[in-house]
Amino acid sequence: MLNLLKNEWMKIFKRAGTYVMIGLLLFFVTVMAAFIKYQESGGTVPDNSDWQRGIEMQNETLTKELEEYGDTFTPEMRHSYESDIAIGEYRLEHNISPNDSYSVWSFVQDASFVIEFVGMFSIIIAAGIVASEFNWGTIKLLLIRPIRREKILLSKYVTVVLFSLMLLALLFSYSAILGGILFGTPGEVSPYLRYQDGQVIETSMFVHLLTYYGLNSINLFMLTTMAFMISAAFRNSSLAIGLSLFLMFMGGTVTSLVAMRYDWAKYILFANTDLMQYLDGSPLIAGMTMGFSVIMLIIYFLLFQFIAFYTFKKRDVAA
Amino acid sequence: MENFVEIQNVSKVIKGRKIIDSLSFEVKSGEVFGFLGPNGAGKTTTIRMIAGLIGITSGDIQILGSSVKTNFEEAIQHVGAIVENPEMYKFMSGYQNLVHFGRMSKGVTKEKIMETVEFVGLKDRIHDKVKTYSLGMRQRLGLAQCLLHDPKILILDEPTNGLDPSGIREIRDHIRKLAREKGMAVIVSSHLLSEMEMMCDRIGIIQQGKLVDVQLVHDVIQTGEKQFELEAEPANAAVELLKQQYPESSIALSDKNISIVILKEEVPNIISMLVQNDIKIYGLKEVSKTLEDRFLEITAKKGE
Repeated sequence: MLNLLKNEWMKIFKRAGTYVMIGLLLFFVTVMAAFIKYQESGGTVPDNSDWQRGIEMQNETLTKELEEYGDTFTPEMRHSYESDIAIGEYRLEHNISPNDSYSVWSFVQDASFVIEFVGMFSIIIAAGIVASEFNWGTIKLLLIRPIRREKILLSKYVTVVLFSLMLLALLFSYSAILGGILFGTPGEVSPYLRYQDGQVIETSMFVHLLTYYGLNSINLFMLTTMAFMISAAFRNSSLAIGLSLFLMFMGGTVTSLVAMRYDWAKYILFANTDLMQYLDGSPLIAGMTMGFSVIMLIIYFLLFQFIAFYTFKKRDVAA
Repeated sequence: MENFVEIQNVSKVIKGRKIIDSLSFEVKSGEVFGFLGPNGAGKTTTIRMIAGLIGITSGDIQILGSSVKTNFEEAIQHVGAIVENPEMYKFMSGYQNLVHFGRMSKGVTKEKIMETVEFVGLKDRIHDKVKTYSLGMRQRLGLAQCLLHDPKILILDEPTNGLDPSGIREIRDHIRKLAREKGMAVIVSSHLLSEMEMMCDRIGIIQQGKLVDVQLVHDVIQTGEKQFELEAEPANAAVELLKQQYPESSIALSDKNISIVILKEEVPNIISMLVQNDIKIYGLKEVSKTLEDRFLEITAKKGE
C-alpha cells in the first residue's frame, strides 16, 4: 500500500501543473498580504481608549431597533441582532476590546478564503487521478499487476485526501508566517467570541482558526470525493471537473433558493456541508441539527465511495 | 511439458452478443503460441481476459494452477503483458516508469531494473523522459516493464505494431530467446502473418469468437506438393512439354514465367527433360506457400 501511495504521489509531483497550483496558491496569499499592508500603512491606527462608550451606544441602538421592528424581522435578522448585543455586553463585562490592531491571526482569517482555491485544485487532482490513467492508456499496465483493483483505487483516493491536506497545511502555515512577518504577533491574543444557544462562548483565536479551517474543508472534502467518484465511474476528467466546480460555486446558492420553498432541501448535500451554520448562525432550515447534517454527510460519502468502487471493480477495460 | 496457461471453455457475452464462444486451448512452458484471426474475431478480448482486464462470462482461465477469476493476485503475479501499445507515463523518465511498475510487484530490486534495461538495450536513454522516445524505444521499454518481475508467462498483444523492420526483428529475437532460455510460455497475437510464421511454434486461428484450428507452424505451411516458378525459353514449347509429362499437375504461363505445382523430387527430372529438348533455362525457384495463403484457405473453408 505504501508503494502504491508513493507511486501516486510521484505521478502528481512529476507534472508541471501541480507546481503551478501550489505557486498560484502562494501567489494569492502574497498579493493579499501586500494589499492589506499597503492599506494599513495609509490609514491611521484606530483609537482604542474610548471603545466601551462605542459599544454601549451601539447596543442601545440595536436594542431599540429590535424592540420597535422586531416583529417584522426574519429569524436570521433577529438572531444576528441578538448575537451582536450579547457579544457587546460580554465585551463590556470582561473588558475585551474589539479594536484589536491587525495581527497575524486577522490575516490568517482573511486569507482563509483561499481555501476555495484549495478546493478547486483538489477537485482537479481528484478528477484526473483515475480518468487520466484511462486517457493515457496506462490503466492497462496498472491493472495487470498482482494487486486487487479496490486497493489501487483506495490508494488513489488516499492520495487525493493527502494532497488536499497538504495544500491546506501549506496555506495555513504560509499565511501564518507571512502574516507574522508583515503584521507582527501580538503579545496578548484577544479571544474569539461567538453566540450560541443564547450564550456567548469564548475560544482562543488559534482554536477558532483551526475549527474554521476544519469546517470549511468539509465542503471541499465532499466535492473532492464527488469529483473522484465521477472520475472513477465515468472515466471523464472534464465532466468531473466541470460538474464539481459548478456545484462548488452554485450548489450553496441553488440549495438556499430551494430551501426557501421546500422542506426537502435539507436532504441536499449542500444544505449540510456548511457546519459553521450551527456554530455561528441559525441553520438553513429550522429543525436541522449538527447531528442530522453529519449523518447526511456520511450517507453521501458512502454513496459516492460505493459508486466509485463498484463501477471501477466491474469495469471491462477495453479501450 | 507442463501447461502454464489453460483456457477452459471460456465465453464472453457483451450486451447479449457472444464475443467469445467456448474457447479452449493451453500453452506450455517454452512455447510461443500465436493467436491469429481477422479483425474483430476476438483476439484482443481473449488476451485481455487472460490478463484480467475483462471479466469472464463463463468458463475459467488457469495460470499455473490458479484461477484468474477467483485467485487473481496469485495467478497474475506470474504474468507479464503488453496489451496493444505500451502506454507509459510520458512526463516521467523511462527509469521512473520502471520504478513505478516495479513497486507494484514483489521483490523488484534496483539491480533487477538495471539488468532488464540492459537486456532490452535502453541503457543510454533510460533517464530521458518517455516523451522523447521513438516508437521502437517505447516498445522496448514496454518489454522491460513486463519482464521486471521475472514472469513465467508473457502475453503480447500486437507487439510489432508500428515498428520498422529492424524493430520487429529485435522484438522477435527477444521473444524467441525468452521462450528458449527462460522456459517462458509466450502468447502473441498479431495481424502480421509472416511475423507469426517466424515467431511462433504453434498457431491458433480464431474466427468469430471460436477457435477454428490449432496447428504447429511446421504443419500449417507444409504440404506435399510445392509451387515452382520456371523461367525458360521458348516458354510455349516448355509448357507443351510439361503438360505432356505431367498431365495432372496445374501448369500456367504468365509473361515468361511458368508456374507448376509438383513434388520436389520431380524437379531434377523436369530440368533434364527440358535441357534435352533444347530449351534454355534461366532460373527455377520454389514459391513457398505462405502462412497467409494457408490462413485464408482455412478461414475461408471453415467460414462457409
